[in-house]
Amino acid sequence: MDKRQNIRNMSVIAHVDHGKSTLTDSLVSKAGIIAGAKAGETRFTDTRKDEQERCITIKSTAISMYYELAEKDLEYVTQEKLGKGFLINLIDSPGHVDFSSEVTAALRVTDGALVVVDCVSGVCVQTETVLRQAISERIKPVLFMNKMDRALLELQLDPEDLYQTFRRIVENVNVIIATYNDENGPMGNIQVDPSKGTVGFGSGLHGWAFTLKQFGEIYADKFKIEPSKLMGRLWGDNFCNPKSRKWNKTGGDGFVRGFTQFILDPIYKIFKSVMNFEKEKYEKMLTQLNIKLSVEDREKEGKPLLKAIMRRWLPAGDALLQMITIHLPSPVTAQKYRMEMLYEGPHDDALALAIKNCDPTGHLCMYVSKMVPTSDRGRFYAFGRVFSGTVATGQKVRIMGPNFIPGKKEDLYLKQIQRTILMMGRYIEPIEDVPCGNIVGLVGVDQFLVKTGTITTFEEAHNLKVMKFSVSPVVRVAVEAKNPSDLPKLVEGLKRLAKSDPMVQCTIEESGEHIVAGAGELHLEICLKDLEEDHACIPIKKSDPVVSYRETVSEESDRTCLSKSPNKHNRLFMRAVPFPEGLAEDIDKGDVTPRGEVKARARLLAEKYEYDVSEARKIWCFGPEGNGPNLLIDVTKGVQYLNEIKDSVVAGFQWATKEGVMCEENVRGVRYNIHDVTLHADAIHRGGGQIIPTARRCLYACSLTAQPRILEPVYLVEIQCPENAVGGIYGVLNRRRGHVFEESQTPGTPMFAVKAYLPVNESFGFTADLRSNTGGQAFPQCVFDHWQILPGDPSDEASKPGQVVSTTRKRKGLSAGIPSLDKYFDKL
Amino acid sequence: MKTVALISGGKDSCYNMLECVRHGHQIVALANLYPDGSQDELDSYMFQTVGHQAIHLYADAMNLPLYRHPLKGSSIATDRYYSPTAKDEVEDLYELLKEVQNDIEIEAVSVGAILSNYQRVRVENVCSRLGLVSLAYLWQRDQQDLLMEMIDDGIDARIIKVAALGLEPQKHLGKSLQEIAPVMRRFNQKYGLNICGEGGEYETFTLDCPLFTQKIIIDRQEILIHSDDAFAPVGYLRFQEMHLQAKDVRLF
Repeated sequence: MDKRQNIRNMSVIAHVDHGKSTLTDSLVSKAGIIAGAKAGETRFTDTRKDEQERCITIKSTAISMYYELAEKDLEYVTQEKLGKGFLINLIDSPGHVDFSSEVTAALRVTDGALVVVDCVSGVCVQTETVLRQAISERIKPVLFMNKMDRALLELQLDPEDLYQTFRRIVENVNVIIATYNDENGPMGNIQVDPSKGTVGFGSGLHGWAFTLKQFGEIYADKFKIEPSKLMGRLWGDNFCNPKSRKWNKTGGDGFVRGFTQFILDPIYKIFKSVMNFEKEKYEKMLTQLNIKLSVEDREKEGKPLLKAIMRRWLPAGDALLQMITIHLPSPVTAQKYRMEMLYEGPHDDALALAIKNCDPTGHLCMYVSKMVPTSDRGRFYAFGRVFSGTVATGQKVRIMGPNFIPGKKEDLYLKQIQRTILMMGRYIEPIEDVPCGNIVGLVGVDQFLVKTGTITTFEEAHNLKVMKFSVSPVVRVAVEAKNPSDLPKLVEGLKRLAKSDPMVQCTIEESGEHIVAGAGELHLEICLKDLEEDHACIPIKKSDPVVSYRETVSEESDRTCLSKSPNKHNRLFMRAVPFPEGLAEDIDKGDVTPRGEVKARARLLAEKYEYDVSEARKIWCFGPEGNGPNLLIDVTKGVQYLNEIKDSVVAGFQWATKEGVMCEENVRGVRYNIHDVTLHADAIHRGGGQIIPTARRCLYACSLTAQPRILEPVYLVEIQCPENAVGGIYGVLNRRRGHVFEESQTPGTPMFAVKAYLPVNESFGFTADLRSNTGGQAFPQCVFDHWQILPGDPSDEASKPGQVVSTTRKRKGLSAGIPSLDKYFDKL
Repeated sequence: MKTVALISGGKDSCYNMLECVRHGHQIVALANLYPDGSQDELDSYMFQTVGHQAIHLYADAMNLPLYRHPLKGSSIATDRYYSPTAKDEVEDLYELLKEVQNDIEIEAVSVGAILSNYQRVRVENVCSRLGLVSLAYLWQRDQQDLLMEMIDDGIDARIIKVAALGLEPQKHLGKSLQEIAPVMRRFNQKYGLNICGEGGEYETFTLDCPLFTQKIIIDRQEILIHSDDAFAPVGYLRFQEMHLQAKDVRLF
């Protein structure tokens, strides 16, 4: 633990059903925690009952393992090292999009990622999403091609086709990496390359795996070439003539690709002979390859025998752990380039340097990325990563929530740490202290943090950056207790639920309804089940799911809107203008941020969106919440006292964009221009009490006069299915206002991949509907993609958006109908 | 000094009179500007205009002559500094004080301004033109302390107009100072309202104070909504019937 150079913190990430948890089993078995024979079936990291039943990971789980690298392999480790023992902290994360917030939380505390791809279905949406997240957190990826057994046994691909499939997947992954990582950036080149050993192949279910390094070593003696040199020959367009033992780059008569000749060929031969029960043939091969089976295994036939042979020959644990220890960075290596992404404060203060150097004697700095429920009902372990210093039981620390601002006292607690613990899948183990670079659980911190936070001992510390989730909570349900007297239990349960999941939002509407918002149907289902069974422990009633909407405008305000302050001495003149396309998304992604340097941001806005540079420099703020996709811009010319009311106008803007004029949903994609103001000469007559309501009214008037519209969230749906089911998919999508925009056959397989857009509102029951219409052959993955205007005028009650507005207003307990303009607009 | 007290009916002008008496000045007359015609609320930059219906009772309550002048002008010169401008409401003040000066001997003017520089600048402008001294004992006082002092010193004033975020006509009109103080403290923290209502957040009318020999009783009043603002509606009270009631005289 103290050897920071020999720690590897890594997460396993992939698309759903690509076999992460199964693969993780082989690693766990290697570490001796579960029996080797059971590996691949136990799903050790799926600790919850429902996870085991559904065969799907819901919560990410951490386990620590110890691995010793052989002497000869140590030289492959190019970074600093201390001895041959390595501590590997592994986090198995869920693959279903609805739980991708768990992935985000896992990535934050790790430095490397094992990206698992099912070599039959290839790179999928979620693969791309998690990989993109990993790279933006500066996590180094290695790739693993899983489910090779399926490719061989079910699809019966010939070796060249299989090679091409592999090559395509590697290429696809590298394209994604190249898109989101700059090769000259601080992480350097992080492309995966089989010939460097950063790509593994195998089968998690059968418990075998290899990298080219293994084969390089096997053949090194035979060819008298260095294994590392040979690895290069075993991938790409390197062809070998087995008879003349010559290599060339073009192939031709008698020449076979190195990869197929030396790697796939032996594997194919074993598969073939075992599955065809040609005992003599495979026994001969076993002696050739020097594989010794136990007596028990010898008795087996067919698949079980195959499994035993492969596992003996190419044990998955060794190959993977070698790949992890050799190629993934240690905290010492990783924190050098991760610090500037993590720390919000100045990059040269004491804490920043301690993080950068991963200094166990420096100030403590730890990020709590999620809360893990304890066996003790209602209490949580704060789970996170120590980035600098050492965290110890009884230590006095500063606990800073996400709203903490340096120098202020908000969201800050000075408390002692009750206990530090290590988390091992299903078990926990108390420990005295934990130095930086490790992943740890804290007891007693849960009372002070809602979900995440920073823990430090440095007085002038700034926060570590909050995590940015790739999905947003767009689906909501209202819950109530079946028995009204259980309300206090429900409220308490909701509080616990909000803590236990990084993403879920629990809020109370003005109408008194309790709202739970999640990323999708499945996510909500799990959350509500947890709420009912674990957190509140009372029977609950839930409404039909409701979708979050956004309010926007479609044209510029048809007049300059005037609002007067209550004392009539101040006037504001403003207009609303819709964003150019893409700007709202740029703000979501963080390309245009409120924190960015003003001039650089103005230049970007001018170049990309043709904003006037001088206007773009006078952005007062983003909103709602200070960082949302709406802008307040000062376009006045020489107005007295304008800066003195800035805070009040900004407060009114935050309010007006959080609760839009039509149905109090968030506003999105609107630029509000302040054209002019007339103010009372005396500061006392233009305080917050006068200006905040005036700004809010004026902004509402602007929206109402700019052809307001409702935005609805849209899912990107990816469906994998056999060809005969495609027709059924079209039928279901059409009924639900969805449309297909891409349809392609997965090369080398009979499977079709259909991509479509589907409004979230129409997605409830979609999965079940799709299954029943395709005979259970189509599996959809829905991930939130973008917002789209719901066509029609919201002020017309008969139109679709009009209905949305009236039902939303009714649900929130607001007066019926959009308020009329004269409520907000004043005459001169 | 012989002092004429500018009164609006509100708590500040009344409390300043009390302060003047405490400091040994003598109040010899009262002066008030009232809205011309039938309008009640003028949204004046300078003067409190609601509640003028009951001002005449002040004179009887204090046994002092009351000089009144209609507000003919309006807020024209609204810059921070003031120079005499025709038809501005400040000129009405000048006329009023001049009238008092011609009638009786006065040396000073009692003004209830606390923080409004705008008011102070204008009153001082008029005073200097007439050779009078302005007495503003409340100037720059801490609003929280001041409001508490007024309550302790027995100023009985009621809220008669609200115009700020958080204050609602139906809820807050007619409340006493004791009742409004915690409300204002809360909104002061939330939205930065001025606790004493100096920014026009609310206006008051004094029904009783230690200088009165009789107290004012309002018999009938109505709530009028001035502008139905969506977030900060403005409303005020109009007194319809009122009378004086004798009380035990307490002198300083």
